[in-house]
Amino acid sequence: MAKARALDRRRKSVKNIRKITRTMELIATARFKKAMDRSVASRDYTLRLAKILANIAAATAGGAGTGSTLGFSHPLLEVRPTKRTAVLILTGNRGLCGGYNSNVVRQAQAILGQWRSEKVELHTAVSGKRGISALKFRGVEIDERYLQFEDKPEFDQVAPIGRAYLEEYSAGRIDRLDVVYTRFDSIARQATVTEMLLPLKAPEAPSGSARATAAKAAAGGLASDDYDFYPSAQSILEELLPASFMARLFKCFLDSAVSEQVARMVAMKAASENAGGLIKDLSRRYNRARQSQITGEIMEILGGVEALKK
Amino acid sequence: MATATKQHGGKVGHVTQVIGSTFDAEFAEDSIPAIYNAVKIDHESKGVSVHLIGEVQQHLGGGKVRCVALGSTDGMVRGGTCIDTGGPLSVPVGKETLGRVFNLAGEPIDNRGPVNTKERWPIHRDPPPITDLSTKTELFETGIKVIDLLTPFVRGGKAGLFGGAGLGKTVILTELIARIASAHGGSSVFAGVGERTREGTDLWLEMQEAKIGDTGRSVIEQTCMVFGQMNEPPGARLRVALSALTMAEYFRDTTGTDTLLFVDNIFRFSQAGSEVSALLGRMPSAVGYQPTLATEMGALQERIASTSKGAITSVQAVYVPADDPTDPAPATAFGNLDAFLYLERSISEKGIYPAVDPLASSSRILDPQYVGERHYKIARRVQRTLQRYRELQDIIAILGVDELSEEDKLVVHRARRMERFLSQPFLVAEVFTGKPGEITSLADTIRSFEEIADGKWDHLPEPAFMYVGSIEQAEEQAKKLAAKK
Repeated sequence: MAKARALDRRRKSVKNIRKITRTMELIATARFKKAMDRSVASRDYTLRLAKILANIAAATAGGAGTGSTLGFSHPLLEVRPTKRTAVLILTGNRGLCGGYNSNVVRQAQAILGQWRSEKVELHTAVSGKRGISALKFRGVEIDERYLQFEDKPEFDQVAPIGRAYLEEYSAGRIDRLDVVYTRFDSIARQATVTEMLLPLKAPEAPSGSARATAAKAAAGGLASDDYDFYPSAQSILEELLPASFMARLFKCFLDSAVSEQVARMVAMKAASENAGGLIKDLSRRYNRARQSQITGEIMEILGGVEALKK
Repeated sequence: MATATKQHGGKVGHVTQVIGSTFDAEFAEDSIPAIYNAVKIDHESKGVSVHLIGEVQQHLGGGKVRCVALGSTDGMVRGGTCIDTGGPLSVPVGKETLGRVFNLAGEPIDNRGPVNTKERWPIHRDPPPITDLSTKTELFETGIKVIDLLTPFVRGGKAGLFGGAGLGKTVILTELIARIASAHGGSSVFAGVGERTREGTDLWLEMQEAKIGDTGRSVIEQTCMVFGQMNEPPGARLRVALSALTMAEYFRDTTGTDTLLFVDNIFRFSQAGSEVSALLGRMPSAVGYQPTLATEMGALQERIASTSKGAITSVQAVYVPADDPTDPAPATAFGNLDAFLYLERSISEKGIYPAVDPLASSSRILDPQYVGERHYKIARRVQRTLQRYRELQDIIAILGVDELSEEDKLVVHRARRMERFLSQPFLVAEVFTGKPGEITSLADTIRSFEEIADGKWDHLPEPAFMYVGSIEQAEEQAKKLAAKK
């Protein structure tokens, strides 16, 4: 009976695990839908903002008459040699989501290692318990930790972080900001990526790079006629560039949140299936062990009876 | 009757009943042969001659005795004469037996002429008295990593190889013979109990080829082999282990040298006992085995002992029916051993040989008192790591390795390497693995596992740990693998 009982106990524990994974799957599905809606909403805003930015850039470029470069400079656009860099790593607070956290950690480690080998000073910020503990285990020094981001990151939560980075950058205390996160492309595809957010790349228009647009604008005059700037294009851009940075940073957080839910959905679905398979296998082995034990006992009793008959 | 007694020098009876491989014989009421006496049957009827030895097992009353046939009962008829030899079956013992192959009755079966020894000893003997038993405990190095580290053998002790069908019990036993016997000064005795005859022949030929150290003499010259294989009736398989043991006991008691005793396979002894028991009309006990299972096993195992005069180191293969170690036969053998190796099917399925289960196997002397603090600690560390890995396996199967905590990931990482590093190329398995056998010293084994546990070799890929000796060879293999890519 020892073997059958052990199998039964194991089957029970696997059944309990399956209960959890199945629940997690359902919850992740519900949360994914909400996170997805938020992400889509913000994507429209971000895109629109980028478009305006590009148009303005084009307009000012045209106005300045330089043709191939932007017609103004801004500290956020300035590319400096990297002496001190900031890295922001976005992971989840919870596990049970397959390779989501470990992929980000792996990529982050590669980036950090690269900077370290180039002897660049590092400021490391990590969001999410999982990432914090994984990196701590690997001996990475973490300067800043965020635990407040769950599946619904609010703009008000992200804004102070963004503002701090902007300030640091403007003051010249950091020369670059990279964000390691999981980009959400579609429900079937998420990619772990490292994106440089600072210095800001020249604003991109939907139809191509800002420079190309600017060149086009200079040649044919695209949007410049549609805008009247007050007090000046420069001052508006100075408002818009930080806003664009914030929007992009916020999008990173939103993408991470969506990707985490997708990853959890997929991982939990697979886990439930695996558990099902294991239960099936254990049940079969349990039944066989039980049956053979019964058969053995019947045979023993019959053997005894036969022997007593003589 | 009186004349017959004179002719044969013993009491004469006649066969009254033949039941399979047991038979009943009737003697005069006042001259009944004692229990365990051998009785001889030599008679011819209708052109069929029967030469058979039987062993008295029961007195049925009225001059009748029930005997177990130690040979085939084909052609036996009721009324045939049956002569009491006046004592138990005896086998020739002495130096002359070395290099020869016998059946259970001590008759040579290698076609190399008769064996003339000064002495013959009866196969039923008492175990040595407790006052003579040796209490020395000393590690017996085999050069096999998994054995030396986790289940160290005892010099003068008993080791068992447990395993289901086809897991490599006989291969490990042959390997041990190749390793120990070739480096061993004393005599060896091999008992083939109820296994394939072909394996016995293979072993015999192999022993003729293998040389002892640099002396140029072959291993067979220091070995005597006794076979009672599958084709023999149950009585023969039941007693062949005793015949071999008696020969080994002689070497122990008279020459004082260390003697090796190999038995393949002790389960067949229990199995034969169960067949005989049924024929003798005893009521079957648990799982259909004989009620006297533990008694029979104990009587045999207690005789395999080291005394102050000399030591018998024995290695026994034990078949585990249906991979179920709780089966009474292996469970009974288990309690008598100093070291036991449990071969596990799931490990052999991974292609790791020897397929020793590092968690189910153990040894009495894996204790800091005998093997030293360092050896003990490292062996336990390896077992702890592998144990944790096994616990995590269900979780990995369901959730995947990514869900483990960082500490557990490291445990899994190292456990998988240790698991593979426990494999080792064998001298006798060179044809299968394509690698020459590796003899790894105990110091190397301990150091290698310590370094793996400390994480010094975390960077090597898993395949590098398969079938190597010491850890340096794993490093070399890793380089070769990298070069191939």
